[in-house]
Amino acid sequence: MDVVQLKKQLGDYTRSLFNEGFLDDQFNQLQQLQDESNPEFVAEVVSLFFQDSQRLVNELAKDLEQQSVDFKKVDAHVHQLKGSSSSIGAQRVQKACISFRNYCDEQNIEGCLKCLQQLKNEYSLVKNKLETLFKLEQQLLEAGG
Amino acid sequence: MDSLQYVPQSSTAEIEFPVGLRVLVVDDDVTCLKIMEQMLRRCMYRVTTCSQATVALDLLREKRGCFDVVLSDVHMPDMDGFKLLELVGLEMDLPVIMMSADGRTNLVMRGIRHGACDYLIKPVREEELKNIWQHVVRKKKNENKEYEHSGSLDDNDRHKRGSDDAEYASSVNEGAEGLLKIPKKRRDAKEEDDGEQENDDPAAAKKPRVVWSVELHQQFVSAVNQLGIDKAVPKRILELMNVPGLTRENVASHLQKFRLYLKRLSGVAQQQVGIPNSCCGPLEQTGNHSSLGGFDIQALAASGHIPPQTLAALHAELLGRPTGTLVSPGMDQRLLQASFKGPAGISIDHGVAYGQPLIRCPSNISKQVPQSIIAPENVNTALSGWSPNGPGTVGPLTNLGGLGAQSGNILMGMLQQQQKQTLQSEPSRSINVQPSCLVVPSQPSASFQAGKNPASMNQNCSFSRSSAINYSLVSPQSNNISFGAGQVSDGNLKTPSVLNGYSGPGSISPSMSSCSINADNIPHRQLQNSTLASTAAGQLPGFARNVSDTQGSYGFNSGQVLDQGPLRNLGFVGKGNSIPSRFAVDEAESPMGILDYEKFQGGSNGNKVKQEPSMDFVENGKVCIPIIQKFSPNDLMSVFSE
Repeated sequence: MDVVQLKKQLGDYTRSLFNEGFLDDQFNQLQQLQDESNPEFVAEVVSLFFQDSQRLVNELAKDLEQQSVDFKKVDAHVHQLKGSSSSIGAQRVQKACISFRNYCDEQNIEGCLKCLQQLKNEYSLVKNKLETLFKLEQQLLEAGG
Repeated sequence: MDSLQYVPQSSTAEIEFPVGLRVLVVDDDVTCLKIMEQMLRRCMYRVTTCSQATVALDLLREKRGCFDVVLSDVHMPDMDGFKLLELVGLEMDLPVIMMSADGRTNLVMRGIRHGACDYLIKPVREEELKNIWQHVVRKKKNENKEYEHSGSLDDNDRHKRGSDDAEYASSVNEGAEGLLKIPKKRRDAKEEDDGEQENDDPAAAKKPRVVWSVELHQQFVSAVNQLGIDKAVPKRILELMNVPGLTRENVASHLQKFRLYLKRLSGVAQQQVGIPNSCCGPLEQTGNHSSLGGFDIQALAASGHIPPQTLAALHAELLGRPTGTLVSPGMDQRLLQASFKGPAGISIDHGVAYGQPLIRCPSNISKQVPQSIIAPENVNTALSGWSPNGPGTVGPLTNLGGLGAQSGNILMGMLQQQQKQTLQSEPSRSINVQPSCLVVPSQPSASFQAGKNPASMNQNCSFSRSSAINYSLVSPQSNNISFGAGQVSDGNLKTPSVLNGYSGPGSISPSMSSCSINADNIPHRQLQNSTLASTAAGQLPGFARNVSDTQGSYGFNSGQVLDQGPLRNLGFVGKGNSIPSRFAVDEAESPMGILDYEKFQGGSNGNKVKQEPSMDFVENGKVCIPIIQKFSPNDLMSVFSE
């Protein structure tokens, strides 16, 4: 594919992510933060996010498996996940966190488990999407774009 | 962005600001941390990131003066963001901006109440960060204003600076904050950016305020001890302390406050010695606690200066329970709090009792008061709740030793304890609010370092044993000048809880006042104020009497202080009331009496604690001594008459 095509592909893909709500404006902010002094900024932040989120999701799963669930702890984790997902613009993940927190407040284990599952799904989805996005960007760069 | 040119602090020209602003970001979320870092770098700030609050705090402590502003997340696993906020404000007096994904009003409110300069909702945008320098500038401006209004400058200076003041937005009436500031007129707020805590260049036109941190104060105290309180002259103290950037003036004003504190303590100590054993009952039980760091409460009690009943009652009041019960540290706080708020009961008589000791001549005290008057542990526990840092601190206080030169130490210690306690007494706040000088970080280690918790000392004393002791302790707090007893004089004392305040310096005062109020001693208050002034001049006994109507000076007039809670009572005989917002509102106010010594750095309005009511008083002759007067006439007066 030539540069023009790659560029178009990247543009379309990015737009779709926004349209589908995977990403929001915060992601744009991130991209604007990237500059010559920090050319890999977005990729670095995103990978940090994934690492951290993976850890949090694992913690959540563990917490919810407990005999007596410590909702405060669960809530704290979810809150953090919400914060970091909002920081990078992972909108759907963030939304999942919000409903997760509601169930936490109600101390509804069933609801929490459902939310956790949803969270995991959203997380995987956005991860894949972003990885694809980066790949496309890389391709474009390599093609000279 | 290393490629960018940072203007070194020392040579920062005004036009460069805010480039190179040194920011510390604390957030347990690494993703956010990285984003913040990048954003701040793009704003041309010098960024340091930290994912743990405890590490951040250590960093701030080790590198004082190396940061201009702190950005902190609210929810962190190792420490509550608000707690960090308060600690930073107290110890380092830096502007702190809170961040959180949670933007609920109550949380934002909490942030502001704890002293946050701003509250950002995540995700934070770059534009928001571009403006954070304003908080640094504003703070410095306010500090300057406070400085100017503090009593440390004489009136002439104030007038001269009037024009400068006009430049500053009169954001707050920080006037009451008498901090140990270097009398430097800062004309240009911008230049203050560079004003570090440490005085790199004492001779520089703009001298940053000296923060009398716990460590610094301890050094000061040990230097004074070495020289002997009588021989301790600022020049020699300065030499002994060997702190770069510290000037003779800094030491001199600090010494002045310290002396007042000692006087107050000695006055109280006298009384304390006289406290009958019965009063000491509770104290004794404390066992170690009551050791008051060496203060032989028993002795004090024995001297009979303070009527047993009074002491006992006082203790009971303070402790919020029948005398004889020791207050455990944890309880202390609660009790203290309770006592402050609660038993209106602290009868005036009790108050009086306390007041008396305070007034006593210092010389007596030295004999009677054994060195470690207040065992930190005791204090903490005894004083109920003051023990912010826990009993551990006694150590330094012990150095205080006998009243003579030592009393100073003790007093300082007490003051500090009180201060600490005062600050800490706020149970609601998890933070150990500590004035920069007095307050010790929640870590127990800090606690009683010399002067760390004068309040605590006092408190312990009072609780554990002789209420008298508390007075001495208290007094330092209340305004340094008034020994607790006298201090109550200010209106703040009104609250019965004040008595409870004995725990800390403030406590005494408040209690006193409350006593006084009940007893209609109120009129004395004013007297006491002036007395303090005279005391400052070096004579204790005069306190209460000569006090002119300085009430206002104490800042009690601010009206609040005492009522607010243990802190209030402490030390705010005068200005104390202006407790910095940092301290959760209520608490901060009272303890400040000791502040004179400690000088919180928190110039922010919120930290009234820093204000050195006592200092001001001293200078203005306001003297907090009033409290003494307040105590029930019979007891108090007798004390004074001595």
